[in-house]
Amino acid sequence: MTGKIIRLHAREHQETQLLLPWYANGRLEAPDQARVEAHLKGCARCRAELEEELRLKSDVAALPLDVEHDRAAMLERLNEPPPQHGGLSIRPGGRVGPTWLGWGVAAGLGVVLALGFHAPRPAPPTLYHAQSAPAGNRPGDLVVLFRPDTTESQIRAALRASGARLVDGPTAADAYVLSVPLPERDRALAELRASRGVIDAEPIDQATAP
Amino acid sequence: MVGRQDRALRASATVPSEDARDVGLMERIARRDPRAFEELYRSYHPRLRRFLFNMLRRPHLSDEVLNDTLLVVWRQPERYNGRSKVSTWIYAIAYRQALKALRRCDDPVDDRAAEARPSGEAGPEQQLGVRQAQDALLRAMGELSPDHRAVIDLTYFHQLGYREIAELMGCPPDTVKTRMFHARRRLKTKLSGELADWL
Repeated sequence: MTGKIIRLHAREHQETQLLLPWYANGRLEAPDQARVEAHLKGCARCRAELEEELRLKSDVAALPLDVEHDRAAMLERLNEPPPQHGGLSIRPGGRVGPTWLGWGVAAGLGVVLALGFHAPRPAPPTLYHAQSAPAGNRPGDLVVLFRPDTTESQIRAALRASGARLVDGPTAADAYVLSVPLPERDRALAELRASRGVIDAEPIDQATAP
Repeated sequence: MVGRQDRALRASATVPSEDARDVGLMERIARRDPRAFEELYRSYHPRLRRFLFNMLRRPHLSDEVLNDTLLVVWRQPERYNGRSKVSTWIYAIAYRQALKALRRCDDPVDDRAAEARPSGEAGPEQQLGVRQAQDALLRAMGELSPDHRAVIDLTYFHQLGYREIAELMGCPPDTVKTRMFHARRRLKTKLSGELADWL
């Protein structure tokens, strides 16, 4: 009889130990809640554990798990109004590093947000200019469609080989718009078409929207 | 004793109306309403960012995964089937994207938590003590596995129940309970050496 009670207590004790974090955060469902409360009344060890649990919970919740400078930079970019051609806002001279796809998505989200909040605004100044581009630069020279499984490093390699710079995308069709000096356009097209991850690359007629 | 703390804690738990609001936003997002996405974005961005930063410990990677996650919400709202809370669905996307990102990059995790710590400005002794305790806890958290860090943060900061965590992690509820149990034990063991009087 006594053995049975001890085993029952041990089981309740073990189950309470497992449930304490959610008792502490107030997210237990009623049956679990009642079970833990009943056990806590008779178990000093679990009551002490609960005290520790509450301290740990409040200390973890108070941890400064954020990187303010990154956050500020991201918000700054998300809030940037869309460029004149609705393109990616790669900063002039900025390195297109390993995370550019992520920034591309951020810019994409920025465009989505901007659609809802900035659509009626007059067109803002273009945020990206090739260093050598003359004033009044065209929105893009080439449009390229990569295979869905192309890796970021393959895309980067293809862009470097072609000498083109990313200025917009992904478009609704998941294509990217590139800029390249006009005399280099044919060579860049040939390089892109020869790249493994490229499905197609086409020149953009100045009169045609991408 | 328990009752008062518990009531206060319960008051801060997620209120059901938040899910009703989120469901409404998802319906509007499915109709391509950018204002609904903006609202959802503002609501989820800070908490997802913390969750991912804690799990991945690589600020740039966590930003990338965060954006990927929110883009899935915008592009594929039809994937939300209404069987779970919207928040659980979104956290599940973030969790899966984070695991994928971890598999992609095999570089060792730096102690990126250092960047998140408060600056070393001179301050009162008490503030210094708090900072030291936070540093120790961040270090200890950093030594846990991403799954253990996730379950700790989802419970203590995001205040999710173990069933929700199980749903978003795609594992049985008992696995969540034991992960949490071992994570707490490990945290306490790691902290006991340097901060015996803290816990």
